[in-house]
Amino acid sequence: MSPDRGRWWRFAAILLITAVVLVPVAAVLILSLRPGVASGSRAAFGLANFTHVLTDIPTLTWLGNSLGVTLATVAVSVAVAAPAGYVLSRGRSRAVSTYSLLLFVVQSLPVITAVIPLFILFARVGLVDNLVGLGIVYVGASMSVAIWMMAAYIDSIPVSLEEAAWIDGASLFTGFTRIVLRNSLPGLLSTAIFTFLVSWNDYLVAIVFLRSQERFTLPIGVQTFFQQNGTDWGSVMALAVIMMLPPIIVFATLNKHFSVGGIGGSLAGT
Amino acid sequence: MTTNYSRRAFLGLGAAVGGGMLLSACGGGSASGGGDGGTLKFWDMPWGQANYTAAAKKLTEAYQPAGSLPGATYQGLQWANFSQTFSSAIASKTGPAVSTGGGFQAFQFADQGAIAYADNVINQFRQDGTFDDFLPGQLDAMKTAKGYAAVPWQLDFRIWWYRKSLLDAAGVKVPTTWDELLTACRTLAGRKLFGFGTGAGAGNNLGSQGLHLMMLNNGGGLFNADGKVEVVTEANLEAMRFVQDLVKAKAVDPASISYTTDNLITQWRNKRVAMGIHTAGLDTDTGETDGDLQVMGPLTGPSGAKAGLVFQNNIMMYADTPSQEGSEAFLSYYIKNMKTLWQQNVVAGLPVLKSIVALPEFQAQKQKAKIIAEWAPVAKTFAANSPTLFGGLAAVDSSQPITQFAQTVLAGQDPKPALESLQKALEAIVK
Amino acid sequence: MTLTAACPKTEVARTRKPRRARRTLLVLVAPSLVLLLLINAYPLVYAALQSVRDGSLINAGDYVGFENYRATLTSPAFWRSVQFTLIFTVVGVFGSWLGGLGLALLLRTRIPGRTVFKTLLLLPWVVPVVVSSTAWNWLVATPQSPLPSLAQALGLGTPLFLADPVLAKVTVCVFKVWISVPFMMMLIGAALAGVDRTVYEAADVDGATRWQQFRHITLPMISRSTYISWILMTIFCVNDFPTIFLLTGGGPVDATTSLVVLSYRTVFQNFQVGPGVAIAFVMTASLVVVSVALYRQIRKAHV
Repeated sequence: MSPDRGRWWRFAAILLITAVVLVPVAAVLILSLRPGVASGSRAAFGLANFTHVLTDIPTLTWLGNSLGVTLATVAVSVAVAAPAGYVLSRGRSRAVSTYSLLLFVVQSLPVITAVIPLFILFARVGLVDNLVGLGIVYVGASMSVAIWMMAAYIDSIPVSLEEAAWIDGASLFTGFTRIVLRNSLPGLLSTAIFTFLVSWNDYLVAIVFLRSQERFTLPIGVQTFFQQNGTDWGSVMALAVIMMLPPIIVFATLNKHFSVGGIGGSLAGT
Repeated sequence: MTTNYSRRAFLGLGAAVGGGMLLSACGGGSASGGGDGGTLKFWDMPWGQANYTAAAKKLTEAYQPAGSLPGATYQGLQWANFSQTFSSAIASKTGPAVSTGGGFQAFQFADQGAIAYADNVINQFRQDGTFDDFLPGQLDAMKTAKGYAAVPWQLDFRIWWYRKSLLDAAGVKVPTTWDELLTACRTLAGRKLFGFGTGAGAGNNLGSQGLHLMMLNNGGGLFNADGKVEVVTEANLEAMRFVQDLVKAKAVDPASISYTTDNLITQWRNKRVAMGIHTAGLDTDTGETDGDLQVMGPLTGPSGAKAGLVFQNNIMMYADTPSQEGSEAFLSYYIKNMKTLWQQNVVAGLPVLKSIVALPEFQAQKQKAKIIAEWAPVAKTFAANSPTLFGGLAAVDSSQPITQFAQTVLAGQDPKPALESLQKALEAIVK
Repeated sequence: MTLTAACPKTEVARTRKPRRARRTLLVLVAPSLVLLLLINAYPLVYAALQSVRDGSLINAGDYVGFENYRATLTSPAFWRSVQFTLIFTVVGVFGSWLGGLGLALLLRTRIPGRTVFKTLLLLPWVVPVVVSSTAWNWLVATPQSPLPSLAQALGLGTPLFLADPVLAKVTVCVFKVWISVPFMMMLIGAALAGVDRTVYEAADVDGATRWQQFRHITLPMISRSTYISWILMTIFCVNDFPTIFLLTGGGPVDATTSLVVLSYRTVFQNFQVGPGVAIAFVMTASLVVVSVALYRQIRKAHV
């Protein structure tokens, strides 16, 4: 088989897989374009749902809140996880493995069990119905996994690179920032994206923590369409499509960094 | 690196910090619920379509407190995980002073000492005549041994509906008894139509509530006259055997045990369902108010009894409030002025006050008016045959055992063991 | 360039001046430690106390010892949930791993429009579960929904994807795999990006087959990522609430009730707080045991 023919076979395969996988997403798109699903109107396709949610409802405020909380969570989470992941990856002591396990244990308690104690704790310091408080919870909720993801990635960076730097007199810290972080772009991005989605899609914490409509994030905004009797599915789906856009933009922008990342280049030089 | 901090010291530190925070959180403090800065917090659920919240907010903000009493602020909540929202707020003393909520929430929180009883408000209603404006029996349903747990403000019924065009086409006349119902279901099944439209999927309680209505219709129920769980009775068994006959007659969609409310409404809208038990809002839910969907009269059961199922949605006051007198004044204001919500037609529920029932805006809604006229007089509470409502009910409606029971019976399985395991499970929940 | 050179492992402490290195490591780990104690330890301690009491959501109640645990461990509903949790987790972890690995390997090769596919395939993870569960419900719930209609057209009868207990289990598991594959794809993709391509060139020269290259180069190189992805996915599956709850609510007749759903329903629908939290704790403890086993595996695989 010529390499070129294999390429097109693979293209056909991935095309088919993608098409099947995206059927439910296509359903969301179709439903978002069908005006007034709940009202039983049989009108043709259109953008009526989008006009409705963008003009009659504080969708843009919610979008801003979601973006703010999420980006702050990502920044803090990655800043915390990268150094801790480095320690987990390079450390070989009992304390390190204990810590690694501890991260796991606290992460194992389901959110639904943790949310009421957290609310009570945060209420005492005035951090409920507050986006800062919500962001802190998200950092805590995503931190364990983020650290582990960073550790997993840093494992793939040979220690020999740092050793070379240490021989040149660099400190451990310099080795971490100059060598490890610089070669960790794919790992950092994966971690950032994971944190992004944890925070972006959460509704279990936010529904308990947020009260005022002007502080809602998008997933809670979606909940406002679930009324006593029936649901305004057209608006829900339109909001869902709006909600999908920022992550898609993030992925599309960062995608090329995923592939050119890695450490093949620096290894070739050693 | 190996001995800088030992594992034990490390875990000890964790426990100490965690424990310390717990102690400080439990040690009381200056936090106060119900509202601050001289205003009352009123929390409200979304009781209608999108325009409901705006109307209720306007009604709240129009409140002019007398003298030095506090004013009120409005907070709309969501149904998703609402019991978590209330519990966490009350536990952290950041909860409301007055609220609507789940049908049995007031009784549940009253058991836990978080409710301020409404006896003063009711006494005032007795004096100014509002008391007699309530539909018969509805206010009494709120009475507990310690006082009125809340004040009802709207009614939520489970009743029989039918689609006229489908019945006409099948030559079926609207059933008035169970026998006629079964015959009608058989005829409709021949046309691949379901005569017992229901749903017991994720978040949908219509399935279990429909079965409950059938029990009540036969003189049965979930509770006995002492308020104890008693479901394995002849009346219930007979009712559930009848449902089993309906399942055998193909009156129940086999997929319906997994139907969400939206799935069920879709099946009504797509004319797959010809008859079924639903809330009062079926016609608005499907978007057809042209009269093709109609409310049946209450059916006569084998024993000759008629019954409906009604939930008294209510407004409750909390013990944690900036001013109890203020809470009472606001609640009284809200009840006396809430008719505007029905005048604007933004509430899905039915009125509990005769003066609102009499409004031309309400009487224009023929199906809803029919429910008040024909179903309200025979409707029983969820607690029947117990004379009063109580806190344990919150744990029964939508609980795991009752959902499981509904799914079992609607799948056509033998109702006797299903009733027996329901009895056991509910006894464990309702202490 | 040899295989061993690409994957060395030396102990940091041994190569550096111990004390300074130790201090640096402590500084690096400190922020996460503070957050861990503040945000994660508190609910854990709080819940532990709830599980040995008979309180409500707003009152602490009385100490009842291990009564809630005894009730939990002797309840048939608990063991049925254990069974489904195991199925859900095993299918979720390995289904999404195989899918993610396959896609990551495929997307590593030269394919036209690779970047577009990479982005599109992440969508199931991006769509909020509140919404994707609705989309799935729309696809399968009623006999007239697209998928049952398709099955009917193909002469396969009318499958009740959510109402039949066995099919409901399958549907929920497939839904979970659908949501999780992108995460696996991304994690493995990042690990693969770290694998040095020149290793394969050397293997080509030695005449190794594709399978041999995969088995002896790719898999070992991503072994630690693999184990970590399994552990993470195990946590995600065992702890997953919305996926199951929004699609089936745990039904029909508890067929898809996992431990976390059982815990939620016990606490927030039956209002039996102590027993419900005890379920969560038994679950957490089991998770920890499984994780320790897997974690040992990592260290063994990587020393």
